[in-house]
Amino acid sequence: MLKLLTAMLAAGAFAGSALAAGPDLGKPAPDFAAVDTNGKPVRLADFKGKLVVLEWSNHQCPYVRKHYGAGNMQKTQGVAQAMGVTWITIISSAPGEQGHVGAAEANKLTAERNAKPSHVVLDPQGKIGRLYAARVTPHMFIIGADGKLLYKGGIDSIRSSRQSDIAQAKNYVTAALGELRAGKQVADADTIAYGCTIHYRDGS
Amino acid sequence: MRVVVAAAWLAAAPAHAQDSAASDTVKTENVAARLLSERIALVPGETAWLALHLAIRPGWHTYWLNPGDAGEKTEIAWTLPPGFSAGAIQWPAPQRLLEPGNIAIYGYTGTAIHLVAVRVPADAKPGERVTLAAEARWLVCEKICLPEDGKFRLTLGVQAPGSVAPVEGRWADIFDAARAALPKASPWPATFALAGKTLTLRFDGAALDAARIETIEFFPTEPGAITPAARQAVRHDAKGFTLALEAAGKAGALKTFEGVLVIKERLDSGTVTQAFAIAAAPGAAAPAAASSLSLGLALLMALAGGIILNLMPCVFPVLSMKALSFAAHGGGRRMGRHGLAYTAGVLALFAAIGAVLIAFKGMGAEIGWGFQLQEPVFVMLMAYLMFVIGLNFSGLFELGGAFAGVGGKLAGRQGLSGAFFTGALAAVVATPCTAPFMAAAIGYALAQPAPAAMAVVLALGLGMALPFLALSYSPALLRRLPKPGPWMERFRQFLAFPMYATAAWLAWVLSLQAGDGALLATLAGAILIAFGLWAWSAARNAARRGRRIAAAFAILALAGAGALVAWAERGAPARDAAAAGERWAAFDPAKLEALRREGRPVFVNFTAAWCVTCIVNEKIVLQSDAVWAAIRKKGIVAMKADWTRRDPAITRALAELGRSGVPVYAVYPPGAGAPALLPQILTESIVLTEFAAFPDRPAAQRAGQ
Repeated sequence: MLKLLTAMLAAGAFAGSALAAGPDLGKPAPDFAAVDTNGKPVRLADFKGKLVVLEWSNHQCPYVRKHYGAGNMQKTQGVAQAMGVTWITIISSAPGEQGHVGAAEANKLTAERNAKPSHVVLDPQGKIGRLYAARVTPHMFIIGADGKLLYKGGIDSIRSSRQSDIAQAKNYVTAALGELRAGKQVADADTIAYGCTIHYRDGS
Repeated sequence: MRVVVAAAWLAAAPAHAQDSAASDTVKTENVAARLLSERIALVPGETAWLALHLAIRPGWHTYWLNPGDAGEKTEIAWTLPPGFSAGAIQWPAPQRLLEPGNIAIYGYTGTAIHLVAVRVPADAKPGERVTLAAEARWLVCEKICLPEDGKFRLTLGVQAPGSVAPVEGRWADIFDAARAALPKASPWPATFALAGKTLTLRFDGAALDAARIETIEFFPTEPGAITPAARQAVRHDAKGFTLALEAAGKAGALKTFEGVLVIKERLDSGTVTQAFAIAAAPGAAAPAAASSLSLGLALLMALAGGIILNLMPCVFPVLSMKALSFAAHGGGRRMGRHGLAYTAGVLALFAAIGAVLIAFKGMGAEIGWGFQLQEPVFVMLMAYLMFVIGLNFSGLFELGGAFAGVGGKLAGRQGLSGAFFTGALAAVVATPCTAPFMAAAIGYALAQPAPAAMAVVLALGLGMALPFLALSYSPALLRRLPKPGPWMERFRQFLAFPMYATAAWLAWVLSLQAGDGALLATLAGAILIAFGLWAWSAARNAARRGRRIAAAFAILALAGAGALVAWAERGAPARDAAAAGERWAAFDPAKLEALRREGRPVFVNFTAAWCVTCIVNEKIVLQSDAVWAAIRKKGIVAMKADWTRRDPAITRALAELGRSGVPVYAVYPPGAGAPALLPQILTESIVLTEFAAFPDRPAAQRAGQ
């Protein structure tokens, strides 16, 4: 009887915790539909069969500037492009907040920085950001060909805004893409994302 | 308003001015940063304390060691002369700042002081001037974030080895504040356990007074083990408290769980923040799982627990006698009504207990199931009750009237009220047995709004009544009970022994709570009760005159037992005095007056185990050798007034001092002068300064102490 009680207690502990922050690794990534900065519709479900990388960005954030300024983000995008991976850059800054841009400005930034995303999606309501519990810029996610979440976390392993640290850091996204191409498991699938907080709209 | 504050802040420091040898200032867009030296010179072989002091623009913040969801910790890179070395930053306790989007960061607003110990080599040359250079980087954020940095240089002279370098008076407050904000050694052993997505942190030791606690927050040193923005649910119980944290990706890999526990406690003098360094070891699943229990499951568990209660040594005998009396009578519809009346009796008593629990909780008291057992008088009465039931089973006396069911009289001969009271009695008898079984469900219930709490308590009662109810409605079940016969009498006599055993256990509990005096009182009372009941029983069978005499004996004996209960209650605090510790004398107002008349100063430490600030003051200040050296030197009598259990004498003494809560530190001068009250946050220097006012006590007199 005591055993039964203990088992019931344990079951209760699990049942009560269904509410988690963001999508879980190995589980289907939440679907979203949007229109990119070139007017093309983007739906996550349409990319089934291909790897997808999500990158949260805010071009004025020192941590984003670190990686774009040193060409590290572009290099990572290049690796993805060569593998035929869809790269979606998402901007969730609310209107009036740092990093908020219109479509024209977003495209200008892509051209200026020589960035290579497949799509840039504006998310001023923060809907996609909250769906993924994206907290910082840059915050990175990799979604498998079967639509399941394979990676969530930071761009690399050294939490700093200094470009000089990039050389010593492990680029988690490049490493994960390499492992996936080789048919291996992602070794570091859940890392700590560092950067500036995403400036979401209040409430909602 | 903000503009004015900001303007004042801008004026505070000119850009990069070296205003003295002991400080160097850098002014950035959002931070006025200074590198300060606590002392104006260095001493070979000693540690020099430096501080990076950041005055942060209003509305902006910098970050802690673990910055939380975003940001980056402040860093200092040192360039020191050969032989010098700098330690790691001593981080003050952080604040948690919440932002939209379920984001939280750990950092500082206003000012952030980062202490660093610099080791001066023993071969540093006296008379030389030495330059300590540092490059600090910090990320400062409001809505946007800016990485900033500053280069600092301090040039200080080296003094002779063994000399004492003077303190730079201007920074003394800053260094004091910085040390006060550092996490202290934790007085509570901590363990952690992961269950699903809940990471529980358990702190054992003293139960805190929840009514005085404003917030309890845990800040992990390493990022990734918990969700920084998630609510941290606190649950207090009699043995300590538990934090339920939302686990994140790295929780599974924890070996030890380190961090800082920040408690904001309300005192008479305002709210005080205390921080403790925590290194939690892996532990068994903490009892906090209750918070993630669903209401349905809690109800189910309470029901199951209630059924189990029927098997408890204190309940089973009562119930089996009742059941057997049913069996003797055969069952039928009338039995069903009796079953319902019994159930109503059980539920009425559980409802009453539930109402008391909820009412106490509403008043802010932290109590759990079994709270009654913390009261020695209740324990004593329970022991008597068990003993009396045992005597009844043994056949020393027979009961009539409402409690007849206990006596095994036939159920048919008594009214429904008899069944009702049997139910209530069974519930009373069950309470000492409930605590260990029902802790989870009741713990859950107490954390819920009143209706849910009541539902759980009633489910427990229903579970307890259920077997009996089923029996009364099912003749088939009833037929399965053994046939009544003379063996029932022997069985009843046998069942007296579990009751005696329970009484013995309760007497032991009482001896722990209230000492051997109370134990003696209980045993003497038990004998008086046994005698009284025997006399009463004899009186019922005797002729009229003998009846009066026997009844008088019975009343006298029972009154004697009652007086012993009262005496035991008064005697109870004796144990606290003994436990107060050898160095501290137990607080005694009469002794206090006598000592003052003798010309002795008295220091009274009004404290309680549930008061966080009291514990910190004792650990950091009142246990220090310097304080005890002064106490001995000045011939001060140190008394401890332990208010862990409310004590009327201490409450009165506090009221006389114009206070309503602890900590209070009162220094009574010899004679009749008014006592001096020390601040609620002590430092060694405050205590020593106060004690210094008294003349030294001659060594000859000291030896006699």
